[in-house]
Amino acid sequence: MARSAKTALVLCLDVGFSMSNSATGQEPPFQQAKKVIQKFVQRQVFAENKDELGLVLFGSDNTKNNLAKDDQYQNISVHRHLMIPNFELLEEIQNDVQPGSQQADWLDALVVCMDLLQNETLGKKYERLNIVMLTDLNTPSSPDQLDIIIGNLKRAGITLQFFLPFPVDGGGSNPPHGGKALSREQQQGLEMTKKVMMSLDEEDVTGVCNPDLSVFKRVEKRPMAWPCTLTIGSSLSIKIVGYKAVCEERPRKSWSVVDAQTHQKDDIKRDVVYCLNDDEETEVQKDDTIQGYRYGSDIVPFSKVDQDQMKYKTDGKSFAVLGFTKQSMINRHQFVGTQVLKVFAPKDDEHAGVALSGLIRALDDLKMVAVVRYVYARNGNPQVGAAFPCIKEKYECLVYVQLPFMEDLRQYSFPSLENNKKYTPSEDQLSAVDSLIDSMMLVEEDGEKKDLFKVNHIPNPQYQRLFQCLHHRAVNPSVPLPPMDPWLTTALQRPLAVATRCQAPLETLKKKFPLKEVVKKKELKTSKELFGNSLGTGISTSLAVWERVGLHSSLGTGSSASLAVWERVGLHSSLGTGRSTF
Amino acid sequence: MAEWNAYYQNEDEYVDRDEFEVDYKCAGRDSLVFLVDASKEMFIRGEDGEPSPFDMTMQCVHSVYTSKIISSDKDLVALVFYGTEQSKNPRNTFEHVYVYHDLDSPGARRVKDVDGLRGENGAQVADETMGSGKTNLVEALWCCSNLYSDVKLRLSYKRLMIFTCRDTPHRGDCERDRQARTKAGDLKETGVVIDLMHLMKPGGFDVSLFFCDVVSPPEDESELGLQMEPCGKLEDLRKRVRAKEMKKRSMASLRLNLCLGEGMNVAVGVYITVRQTKKPNAVKLYRDNNEPVHTKTRLYHTQTGSLLLPSDTKRAQVYAGRQIVMEKDEVDVIKKFSDPGLELIGFKPMERLKLHHHLRSALFIYPEEETVTGSACVFTALLRRCSERNVFALCKYTQIRNSSPRFLALVPQREELDEGQAQIEAPGFHGIFLPYADDIRNLDAPQLPTASDAQVDKMKEIVHKLSFKYRSDAFENPVLQQHYRYLEALALDPMAPEHIEEHIEDHTVPKVKMIDQCLGSLAQEFKDLLSHCRYTATNIVTSWPCVCSAEEAGGAEKKPKVEMSEDELRARVQKGTLQFGVKVTGTKKRELIDTLKAQLAK
Repeated sequence: MARSAKTALVLCLDVGFSMSNSATGQEPPFQQAKKVIQKFVQRQVFAENKDELGLVLFGSDNTKNNLAKDDQYQNISVHRHLMIPNFELLEEIQNDVQPGSQQADWLDALVVCMDLLQNETLGKKYERLNIVMLTDLNTPSSPDQLDIIIGNLKRAGITLQFFLPFPVDGGGSNPPHGGKALSREQQQGLEMTKKVMMSLDEEDVTGVCNPDLSVFKRVEKRPMAWPCTLTIGSSLSIKIVGYKAVCEERPRKSWSVVDAQTHQKDDIKRDVVYCLNDDEETEVQKDDTIQGYRYGSDIVPFSKVDQDQMKYKTDGKSFAVLGFTKQSMINRHQFVGTQVLKVFAPKDDEHAGVALSGLIRALDDLKMVAVVRYVYARNGNPQVGAAFPCIKEKYECLVYVQLPFMEDLRQYSFPSLENNKKYTPSEDQLSAVDSLIDSMMLVEEDGEKKDLFKVNHIPNPQYQRLFQCLHHRAVNPSVPLPPMDPWLTTALQRPLAVATRCQAPLETLKKKFPLKEVVKKKELKTSKELFGNSLGTGISTSLAVWERVGLHSSLGTGSSASLAVWERVGLHSSLGTGRSTF
Repeated sequence: MAEWNAYYQNEDEYVDRDEFEVDYKCAGRDSLVFLVDASKEMFIRGEDGEPSPFDMTMQCVHSVYTSKIISSDKDLVALVFYGTEQSKNPRNTFEHVYVYHDLDSPGARRVKDVDGLRGENGAQVADETMGSGKTNLVEALWCCSNLYSDVKLRLSYKRLMIFTCRDTPHRGDCERDRQARTKAGDLKETGVVIDLMHLMKPGGFDVSLFFCDVVSPPEDESELGLQMEPCGKLEDLRKRVRAKEMKKRSMASLRLNLCLGEGMNVAVGVYITVRQTKKPNAVKLYRDNNEPVHTKTRLYHTQTGSLLLPSDTKRAQVYAGRQIVMEKDEVDVIKKFSDPGLELIGFKPMERLKLHHHLRSALFIYPEEETVTGSACVFTALLRRCSERNVFALCKYTQIRNSSPRFLALVPQREELDEGQAQIEAPGFHGIFLPYADDIRNLDAPQLPTASDAQVDKMKEIVHKLSFKYRSDAFENPVLQQHYRYLEALALDPMAPEHIEEHIEDHTVPKVKMIDQCLGSLAQEFKDLLSHCRYTATNIVTSWPCVCSAEEAGGAEKKPKVEMSEDELRARVQKGTLQFGVKVTGTKKRELIDTLKAQLAK
């Protein structure tokens, strides 16, 4: 697999004294910005790619940069030159990056970052150069150099991104969540940022961000193409390419077992012995064992030769239409398999494109699907699946999902519920359920139908937590693991608005539907466990805003393609709608 | 390429090892006794060539045996005949009862035995070995009750199915009827569920004469209970047996709380109604006696050679050149977010559930009234209103301790019955697993022209021609079927595996000839529509005769690709870079290009 070219990125953090100011009860911008950086670097470290990272602090007490001369470019310190981020950097950020007592012009800092990028990428190949600026813009800066800086950014092909501790579209008059109104410097700075961003890309007028957010995207695991031919009988065949579109993503690394004292993997050896099922558990040699398969109560000895002979053989990859059927005949709850494929025509094959489009549109008009035999590769197990038509604004494709075989179905029957007088709810009870549903609708019907809880925007919490703990342990080897990140707990809970709204309907529901636990002797112990509610609810709300928006987007999951989605969605929507705050 | 394969392997491992295992943890074995009438009436063939009731029954038993071997080979099955001339039972204390197979897990021999009882030959075999004689259901039921009590294993579920076409087995002998009812009552008392699989008989089968008091009452007042109509067709009987045999087993489920909000916990059971059945793993046998061996895994220290306890080890991963070490407990605890259960987040309109949001097989959720009284009522109300309002419930799902949460869309499923009042869809919620951001991949969709109306219409004709009524149980897994077919043959005749030439019918392979015939000229017509069109952004269908002629000219060879726009073609012809990329002899190529040039010059 061809490796994609690397990115060079400079994090430019304002550590000036205004960054330590905050309204009472709120975390100072500096701390919030530091967290963003930590999360971002953490993600980069765990991603283990070749991207290089630098860190520039401004407003720092010391001065350390190439451009510093006389009273120019003071209090700007290049903390780390471009290199692949590692745990040392994380440790430095944790321990050494502290708020300063000075102030520095953020435009000066930007120039230092550009200088650093240009000097240190000389003679090497990078796919992208990027600067991420984290500041509250609370310093007077001289706009006279602005046009030159913009010109240089453009010329060098450097993209720029801002993280600000306040919403960008609110102006200064109406702070959204109890924050302070913007100072004159901040308003002025905001105007300048907007100007920079607009000049870098004229299309993006609203948000203070470059729409090309792919700087946070890493196309590392490119989607694997599965070229094949869709066949209908012997005479119709269409060239296709399939891609995994949805599939449970897992971390690439797994745990290895090490010796508790030495922490060496090689100190441990795993040994498997075979024992007879007699009282002594007599050990036998592996060479004295043969293979067999169970056939009900029988065990049939089976040589390798037998095995090869009896193996079901397929001719090779296949995406063959067996027939077409109504979409309503396919039960969604009977989907099997662990992935969804999207099937396109090959990129440059217009002939196949039109043919496939014909099929997709015909199926879509008729509300039908193709039932196909799918074989991934020679001697792979055949599947029967449904190829649904999918027509989007920008593309058309088939969506393939595996369907069950007869052997996979377990058609249990259950006692009827609605025909049972005992369980029939009264009108009164039904209306209580109705109010609950009303109060807990996650999609608001008014206007643009905002979805309050999009699961496909939440990063898999398992990996977020894993990386949080790995990071913590790597930097603090002897300290117990940290509690769950509050933002993560919050992200997995009923949205606050809904939780508040449903309080009253829920109380009514409780009154209308008495529930009584049946205590069985055996289950006495577990009942507490069953009914205990151990979910913590302590959330710092002010934090939540920043974290939901900013941190998510820069969190590492170790999986790349999927990350990109999150980033695009998280950052783009947040910055684009002006909710990017810290 | 290797990557995909790697994934496939991982998948298997993951699904098997990880969370699904829990749902199948069972407190005992399931057992099923077939109690089959062997009287003369059972051997009379139907008028229109239908197989005899006995034959139909044997076919059913055969398919239950083979399906048990594939999907639940630990279950115990017995086959007992009553109304026989000969008697054969463990202590030979019962008259006219023939225990053909006692309660045990089915194997190859048994499958073959039952196979031998099918068809005309089977009837003869049955007559020779057992014959038809007096009927005494009391003895038969007693005998069955002994079969259950003789089993040393713990039985989680006991079911008895009576197959008969006689509604008055004792021909009006009230005393015998009474005794049989009492004996049936005793059986039911010990937890045996008795079902009647009654078969068509001339004049109709009247359940009320006797059998209504023998079979188990429906599990609750609402259940439809005894099917009044007898089975006349093999397919019906199979379906009925299958439905009963697959009866839900609450022990096999996972019991959880569906938490609607603080202090509102509804008890539910989680079931798996669809699960990929995989080829089982091979077992290791000792060469000398073909007895299975088991493995023990030991850890020991490489240097000292001493055995290590689990506590002597830790877990480690390496990132950015640094080793990060954790205790085994810590690794487990990291996965913990909340206690097992389902937590309601809210509701969404059904159209928010996307088709492609699929990760694993769905779960099925049904209330557990026995655990929390009142659960079924709230559940029913919720099910009804969700269904009527066309919304689904979004829930956070934690399956077991230390399993990280997943989100489920709980899609309401109201009960559906077929004409015969048999349940097609059980009432409850389907739990659809929803993907996280990480699980969705970003794809670059190619920009390609779309089909014209004429092309789409032609394809619609093709689709119509090949449309069929899909049924989810229509396709057998050829890999499994072949595996078990071979095993069955090998088990019966271990010496001659090379004689196995049974080939399974593989329904997953397209019937190409049939499809071609069905389509007739349609396929060619569609292809013609493709080659006659020129692909432009606006997609105007333009006839382009020159390409056709070119195609015809090169027809004997591989066909040239015709996927350039006219303008591009024109440009290439002018530049002289037009290539067909296939074996075309020089002269031919020249001819072709000349034709093209002539055409384009017009």
